[in-house]
Amino acid sequence: MNESLLFLATFILYIISAFYYFSFLFKKRENLAKIGFSFSFAGLFIHTIALVLRTFESGHAPFTNMYESLSFFAWSSILAYVIIEFKYKIRKAGPYFMLIVIALMALASSPLMPKEATPLVPALQSYWLWLHVSVTLLGEAFFAIAFITSIMYLVADSKERKGIKSGLSSGKLDSVSYRCIAVGFPLFTLGGLVFGMVWAYYAWGRFWSWDPKETWSLITWFFFALYLHTRIVMGWKGRRSAYVAIIGFLAALFTYFGVNYLLAGLHSYA
Amino acid sequence: MKSLLKFFCSVKLAIFLLIIITLASMLGTFIPQHRSLDEYVAHYGQWGNLFNRLQITKLYQSLWFLALLCLFALNIIVCTLTRLAPKLRKAFHPKVEMESKEISVLKIKEKFKKNISLDKTNKELKRELSSRHYRLKEAKRENKIFLLARKRILGWFGADFVHIGILIILVGGIISGAGGFRKDLTFSEGDIRGIPGAEFKLRLDKFETEYYSNGMVKDWKSTLTVIENEKPILSKVIEVNHPLSYKGFVFYQSSYGWNWTNTSVGIWVRKRKDPSFLRKIDVTVGERARLESENIHISVLHFIPDFVINERNEIISRSLQPNNPAAFIEGWEGDEKIMSGWIFSKFPDFARIHSEKETDLSFELKNFKADQLSVIQAAKDPGVNFIWAGCTFLMIGLAFAFYWPTREIKVILEESQGKTEIIAGGIASKSREALQSEFEKIMTSLRRSR
Repeated sequence: MNESLLFLATFILYIISAFYYFSFLFKKRENLAKIGFSFSFAGLFIHTIALVLRTFESGHAPFTNMYESLSFFAWSSILAYVIIEFKYKIRKAGPYFMLIVIALMALASSPLMPKEATPLVPALQSYWLWLHVSVTLLGEAFFAIAFITSIMYLVADSKERKGIKSGLSSGKLDSVSYRCIAVGFPLFTLGGLVFGMVWAYYAWGRFWSWDPKETWSLITWFFFALYLHTRIVMGWKGRRSAYVAIIGFLAALFTYFGVNYLLAGLHSYA
Repeated sequence: MKSLLKFFCSVKLAIFLLIIITLASMLGTFIPQHRSLDEYVAHYGQWGNLFNRLQITKLYQSLWFLALLCLFALNIIVCTLTRLAPKLRKAFHPKVEMESKEISVLKIKEKFKKNISLDKTNKELKRELSSRHYRLKEAKRENKIFLLARKRILGWFGADFVHIGILIILVGGIISGAGGFRKDLTFSEGDIRGIPGAEFKLRLDKFETEYYSNGMVKDWKSTLTVIENEKPILSKVIEVNHPLSYKGFVFYQSSYGWNWTNTSVGIWVRKRKDPSFLRKIDVTVGERARLESENIHISVLHFIPDFVINERNEIISRSLQPNNPAAFIEGWEGDEKIMSGWIFSKFPDFARIHSEKETDLSFELKNFKADQLSVIQAAKDPGVNFIWAGCTFLMIGLAFAFYWPTREIKVILEESQGKTEIIAGGIASKSREALQSEFEKIMTSLRRSR
């Protein structure tokens, strides 16, 4: 068994999971969603083994190039989803969320992403690599769920205004979005900003240098800070809150991908 | 004065500033920073001058961006202080006595009567609340008892911790910017350099580059010795991610390079018509060597690590990295120059040799050796401890704000005709459902008691 085979198996499990989730959406049989969930859970299990194997094969953390980090982001997203699903039962979000995961996996398997494990460049040889990347991506995974539930909120809300009720009430979607951000925000702050600053201090000799990646993670942080303040202090809820959460996740995505491809900077690994 | 205070403590101002700072930060990532004016003009035309005048070209260090941050800091200070005073009063000197209508407006509440005395009910309730780690305050009036039970009071102050943390980080940033310094120092092995503003010197004992088996650089390692009053104090091998700290200074492995002035080059000389002929010579730049068994001398006049011809037709080195190493050589037969020209280590067939006299010889630049230089960044950052302190506050604050929700239970016990009426309500700063279920358990156990 090698890592790329396990990665493929994981990908297939996620696709099957999405398939069941979507048929649940159309046929409205709870059973199908349960099967979908089991497949995503099985995928998470195999994916975990794949990442562990990758770590042993390469001898370093499994997120040092774009392929690895996409795969790890997909893994954290599923992990976050499993946790949120266990706690809040948001089955209807499953199909849409699986689409994000499949998009990540597809991007990781695209031929544009070099797959071979390369040895670590000097700047990445630090245990802060583990802490900084894993905690940040886990935080962003919760933002991804909030992104999906916020979009679903907007749809559910406009339906409810016309008097159509659907499975997940807009109120519940709004509160799940908030709860995901309440988990994601501290994680992102710790992993992205705090651990990032500590590592930058040891590796580059300064804790902050207004590098585009740094600046964009700060911008992402500002968006979610905005979400929390407008919501808690100004009492925003519902539509306006949902828009801020959506923009926040898009900013996180830009920090993750856009900066690498569009803006040049120090932070040129992944 | 009062309206100014009100202006600065408004959340609307905070949100406005947050949005403006976010937009400004974005702008700075799309317009490259710290380039020369010529580059901006070349790229943006007349806009380049405008960008320069508005300091967008060094946005994050510009006065207006700094002013925005200061305004933001002021806003946070005023907001925090105006909210802190009433919160502290509520935490340490709360009003225990209350009207029953204060409870009736709460979302979590209950009201019932029990056939036991006031004191017994009170004792029972206090026992139950204490066992759930509530801290109690109580006030007694003739036939009434007021109970205020609270736990996780720090949860109220989570946001304040976060804001104080951000302020400390901003202060640290200002101290770093104003009092910090950074300088790249270039060392050859054995060099001793003074550190600006420090009483000690630094010596590079050894510098080595480690490679992976595929040729990628694995690490750069510099052995540094601190020398104070002419005496070596301590030695440390530093590498990327592992700097040396000494007396407030930190020394980082920042870069590396070569000292190309005394490069020695290895040249292979062949004869076109005689395949068995091969002579290998090693020459230091500026010197000459005799070709064995021939009456010919080869001298190396120049070595260029990154050969390129610029638009003015001049030969220059594009960088100090050996990307396209080239040597300028001359061949002499006695006193007569027979040839001269450039040879390239990466393009052996592309030698640009100008022959003065018919010759059968060909030259290849086979290798080159130069002293390696280690570039050490010396840094002093007096603000950095503020940053770590601020980050700690920030994280503790976030933990309190999100995961340490304050719970408050207010109870009025009133005795009339041997019965005790219980009016109770609960307030949670977050996760009301959890308090609801705890509240119900407390009330159930109180109902059951006798």
